[in-house]
Amino acid sequence: MLMQLTLGGFAQGAIYALIALSLTVVYRSTTVVNFGHGDFVMAGAFLSYVLVVLAGIAFLPAAVLAMIAMFVLGVFFSKGLIRPIRGGPHIGLALMCISAGYILRGIARMVWGREVLPMPPVFDIEPIFLGNLVVTGDAVFIIGTVFVLLVVFFGLLGLTDLGKMVQAVYQSPRGARLIGLNVERFNDFSWGVGAALGALGGILVAPISLLHPDLGASFLIKGFAAMTLGGFGSLGGAVLGGILLGLAEQYAGAYIDSALIEITAYVFIVLVLFIRPHGLFGRKAVVKV
Amino acid sequence: MSELLQVNGLSVRFSGLTALDDVTFTLEEGAVRAVIGPNGAGKSTLFNAISGYVTPTSGTVHLKGQELTKLTPHEIAEQGVRRTFQNGGLFPALTVLENVLTGLHAQIEGSFLDILLGRSKALKSEAENIHRARELLKLMSMDHMADTRAGDLSGGQQRIVEIVRTVASDPPVLLLDEPAVGLSPVARAQMMEIIHRLAGEKGVGILLIEHAVELVMAAADRILVMAAGARIAEGTPDEIREDRAVLEAYLGHS
Amino acid sequence: MSTTMPTSRQRSLRTWAFWAVPVLLLLTPLATNAYTQFIVNGMLISILVTLGFTLVIGNLGQLAFANTAFFGIGAYASAILSAKLGLPWIMTIPLAGALGALGGFLASSAALRGIRSYYLAIITLAFGELMRWAYLHTKPLTGGTDGLPLPRETMFGISLSDDTLKFYIFLAVTAVLVKATLNLLRSRFGRAVMAVRENEVATASLAIPTARVILTTFIWSGFLVGCAGALFARHVGHVFPESFGMLHLIASFAMVLVGGLGSVLGAVLGAVVLTALPEYLRAFPGMEELFFGLIVAAVLVAMPMGLASLLRRLSPIFVERYYREES
Repeated sequence: MLMQLTLGGFAQGAIYALIALSLTVVYRSTTVVNFGHGDFVMAGAFLSYVLVVLAGIAFLPAAVLAMIAMFVLGVFFSKGLIRPIRGGPHIGLALMCISAGYILRGIARMVWGREVLPMPPVFDIEPIFLGNLVVTGDAVFIIGTVFVLLVVFFGLLGLTDLGKMVQAVYQSPRGARLIGLNVERFNDFSWGVGAALGALGGILVAPISLLHPDLGASFLIKGFAAMTLGGFGSLGGAVLGGILLGLAEQYAGAYIDSALIEITAYVFIVLVLFIRPHGLFGRKAVVKV
Repeated sequence: MSELLQVNGLSVRFSGLTALDDVTFTLEEGAVRAVIGPNGAGKSTLFNAISGYVTPTSGTVHLKGQELTKLTPHEIAEQGVRRTFQNGGLFPALTVLENVLTGLHAQIEGSFLDILLGRSKALKSEAENIHRARELLKLMSMDHMADTRAGDLSGGQQRIVEIVRTVASDPPVLLLDEPAVGLSPVARAQMMEIIHRLAGEKGVGILLIEHAVELVMAAADRILVMAAGARIAEGTPDEIREDRAVLEAYLGHS
Repeated sequence: MSTTMPTSRQRSLRTWAFWAVPVLLLLTPLATNAYTQFIVNGMLISILVTLGFTLVIGNLGQLAFANTAFFGIGAYASAILSAKLGLPWIMTIPLAGALGALGGFLASSAALRGIRSYYLAIITLAFGELMRWAYLHTKPLTGGTDGLPLPRETMFGISLSDDTLKFYIFLAVTAVLVKATLNLLRSRFGRAVMAVRENEVATASLAIPTARVILTTFIWSGFLVGCAGALFARHVGHVFPESFGMLHLIASFAMVLVGGLGSVLGAVLGAVVLTALPEYLRAFPGMEELFFGLIVAAVLVAMPMGLASLLRRLSPIFVERYYREES
């Protein structure tokens, strides 16, 4: 039982980790929190659905295509809607993100109406039995994909100049500009990466859940919860926070009450912010007078 | 002259770093005391500690014998120690008149409920204080700007409005954090005159951080020189000009 | 840019106009059909919701998204108190307001603990979703997904399902609360609220208790929106959890922004303009979201100060001042 829950928690947590990570990528390089990110996740799921079910493309190429499309969308969003209001107050930026999310959601609902769509199973392989533990193909696929992606992501950050660029832009956009970095283009790129990674989260959940235009909202909250838990703005913290949230949901749902699965994330957000605002792994922010 | 502000052994330490080290001085009615020193000398920390924005590690601050040390910034302001800010503390989206009125917040009567229901008690006090604010602006020849957004004023006008706002409630003690920074020579002269008038005519005790040497020498009765958080000299402008410790602090050991 | 201020004649004209509007509105039932009346009633509710929201995000400048939660709390409080405790609906309005105020108090306690900016946005968003979860999972009290119908009731011998009667009640509540909010804003309190937005550190140096200002703004905002919730419960006659979700939030945002952030006039304009339109969009799935999303994006880029700023350019009558010289 415990092992089964842990496996399920890891699979779920891997997706949260991905969403939290993609939010953090955008936040760290642009200081904008994408309040419409849930709908980017939803859009990724829908695009893969369209490509697989309606266009008849195999799942893997469809997933890659959907991510590329979302990357482009992210870049255009940054160029067209975020740049013009960058100098303005945070409220404007937050609202812009929310409205972008709504536009995506509106389009999804216009095309699909109020239906709930099941995606055909992708990895329809026989589950493996390890004693009492049932290991499904989906779980292996999700955990495996996210793991490989994290290795590549952190590898790129650690081994190339990309990591230093992210750090430079995060700490001082002006400084980064002075040393010749094109901060605007870097921001556009980060929005693209964030949108593509978020979309991958949606693509991965698509085969194991029902699709509907509102599915983004809960993922947004889970992403926030994971970010908050791991320390807002920390890339590694976002991943760990996501896994912890996935596990906590499974355990709370099984051992306490299944209705708790839905609100574990909310409870985490409220508790963490009130008790330890810098998260489990983040450093305490210093407030300047 | 009676003593207004007594600062006694005031120290501030941030995680091992001593930002303010055992500073003691008094400020009398109508006195202008300048605080000078190189960057990082602890001048701003001194202001922040007196006005409650930084909690002192040890030492006390008294106003007319009443302890201020444990109070919050708004309580200290209400007791009568008011300050300006180095980077300008005006509210850009509010008009000049509205800015000055925020300085009279504690003077305007009427509870939340009085205001909510539009009771005459609150309205009367509001009208009286608007009148007072307009009079103050007139004194500074700023009354024609009353309805201009503060953010649209020139740098010098902003400084003046900030001072009007800060002294509107007639505080006995005023802390001015670099009031002349970025001002034209004409505006500087005007600022000097304002400082003299506040101290001379109204008896306000003024503590002044300033880098412009000629302003300090001309405006201050006494000068407190700080370096590395501590007081290294104190005296009249003439005494300070001759002080070896001051020269060393500014020029380094030669 | 130098702003022209209204002359005293224009000012007294404005005072007249403020009271003339509701008086003229009193006559609307004579000129409308039932459907239009229903929409006008909805506008009156939206005005309060938008006003409560703009106070916090516009005047106080805090990124708090709990407005929809206050609205839901007010609506459910009203429905539960009338359906389960048998209270006359009219009495549930102040009680719903009080519970909304309590919600405001909770949200401000987060802000006062230093949870600001994006953190505040996230925690208040979570608060709203937590409330929706609570409506769904406390079936005996809220009816869960089935929602909770309000009992039949009469006032002055007229059924409370009558839209004309509701209109007069809503109009009275909204006019009084808008007037009270104007009183607040055009006083030392209103100036302090905006001072906190502009520069919180400097505000404290003026003997203004910033924490109390933040607390009070959230509480008043919660009160306004809680009262609006009670009106809404009677307006639709049956409260469902879905009414208090993200769609309501984006609609409120759109109203705040289209009218003009931090402006009472803007709140009224935004609510009036944007309450009617979606009624016609509802038949097409997705159009509401698309519409509000596009409107907010367009306003942010092209007209950040909203419709109120256009009116201000037309005449100084529409300039909002935060002091009151006449006593």
